[in-house]
Amino acid sequence: MEIDDADNSDKNSGSAPDSKSKSKRKLYVGSQDLGFRRDHMEVLSPLKDGIVVDWDMVENIWDHALRKCLLIDPKEHPMLLAEPCSNTQQQREKTAEIMFEKYQVPALFLAKNAVLTSFASGRATSLVVDCGGGSTTVAPVHDGYVLQKAVATSPIGGEFLTDCLLKSLEQKGISIKPRYAFKRKEIRAGEFQIMDLDFPNTTESYKLYSQRVIVGDIKECVCRAPDTPYDETSYSNIPMTPYELPDGQTIEIGADRFKIPDVLFNPSLVQTIPGMESFAEMTSSARGLPQMVIDSINKCDVDIRRELFSSILLSGGTASMQQLKERLEKDLLEESPQAARVKVLASGNATERRFSVWIGGSILASLGSFQQMWFSKSEFEEHGASYIQRKCP
Amino acid sequence: MKHPSLFDKRNQLKASNNFDKQANAASGMSVDDECKLRFLELKAKRNYRFIIFKIEEKIQRVIVEKLGQPGESYDDFASSLPDNECRYAVYDFDFTTNENCQKSKIFFVAWAPDTSRIRSKMVYASSKDRFKRELDGIQVELQATDPSEMSIDICVD
Repeated sequence: MEIDDADNSDKNSGSAPDSKSKSKRKLYVGSQDLGFRRDHMEVLSPLKDGIVVDWDMVENIWDHALRKCLLIDPKEHPMLLAEPCSNTQQQREKTAEIMFEKYQVPALFLAKNAVLTSFASGRATSLVVDCGGGSTTVAPVHDGYVLQKAVATSPIGGEFLTDCLLKSLEQKGISIKPRYAFKRKEIRAGEFQIMDLDFPNTTESYKLYSQRVIVGDIKECVCRAPDTPYDETSYSNIPMTPYELPDGQTIEIGADRFKIPDVLFNPSLVQTIPGMESFAEMTSSARGLPQMVIDSINKCDVDIRRELFSSILLSGGTASMQQLKERLEKDLLEESPQAARVKVLASGNATERRFSVWIGGSILASLGSFQQMWFSKSEFEEHGASYIQRKCP
Repeated sequence: MKHPSLFDKRNQLKASNNFDKQANAASGMSVDDECKLRFLELKAKRNYRFIIFKIEEKIQRVIVEKLGQPGESYDDFASSLPDNECRYAVYDFDFTTNENCQKSKIFFVAWAPDTSRIRSKMVYASSKDRFKRELDGIQVELQATDPSEMSIDICVD
């Protein structure tokens, strides 16, 4: 049995009506509860930059995953958790404590996301480029170990691109009406009437969440990485692509189709998107994807650089962006040393790309030979939580 | 010269210590003694051109699948690797340097074709580090997912 880490779980939603104190808030978890609007309900995430900052929420998510979704008793199942490369020692120990003390799991293992992705592609050595929702991580894996010093991260992930697109659309006068804010009625066959609904007690964060759901879909449907760096003039005459919003309104998307994904390659583009100025500082320090790859490889030992260049693995939801793989390969070919054989690999199947970490973890945990590798409850009781560093380095 | 059995034992001890300390997402697969013996024969006596190893999941072990005779060529070796299953292999590569000097190098190949099942890829990748440590004397390592990645010219440079 294995459960994905909080990373890929549904976002937590909690409502804090009149006080911010943790004891008084009521938490709703899961996509189903998120779809239902409540007065004063805020949408929160326990993660910041890929690291857990609110353990209370994480415990609620795990409760939900184990008891509501999987319907299992955690006492009966060993638990494999996938963790980001940047997880600190304290967080690993905290995880072990919660798992053994609260959930009473019989055994636990922590595996690194990048290692699981690498193994699932059949490679013990590779450079894993994980383009997720909240952030992007580039991690070199050598013989099954993450080379921590060479890991590169950036806060630009799928959600950031969604926000860019949302701002850019708003700036063009397109307002994205959240699904809860109107009612759509069929008055005659094929003819719809939209009735606006007013909920003054809806929080800003819930409104933004609902808009992101819609804009995220627009992004997935129409966006594709441009073949060459984006520039305003050559994309000004690009044909428009239509997209029908949930309220029936059809919008047309032109240059943004290419401009938004290019932010991954050139974060300074954000400065040209009105409304995103507040992120200018963040993006000026962020590096583009090809630069992150090259910097990360250059921090590794000279002997393994060649091998890393020839096995660059793409994973994560944002990696499914059309033409992303081709563009990354092209940019890297231009910037890498001549002797390197650059090869970017990604599973042809979008689901496999997105869930490579989960797939890897689920196979590992099911191997007969793996059963001797677990960090067991008796070991935890004998050596304490810090033993996790030894069992799962 | 060290007594071979003692030497082996010490190596084994070293390996098992390492293994205990670094268990990062390794599969825990064990290695059949036959693998080590045949590899030593390839290395010391040059009895074989290549050896192909496979993982037998039922017994949780790496075993020898095929031995290549000294007369067999690189093409024979390449064609012995299955199209849609992963394998480990070692190949004793003979070549002549620019100074016209006869040399040989032992290659380790982790064969994981794209068309193989993810389960098989996962099993081989997560057992590789442990397996490789059993074979002392590998000089070059290759990961290959299709025949082009292990063509003879890659081995040459």
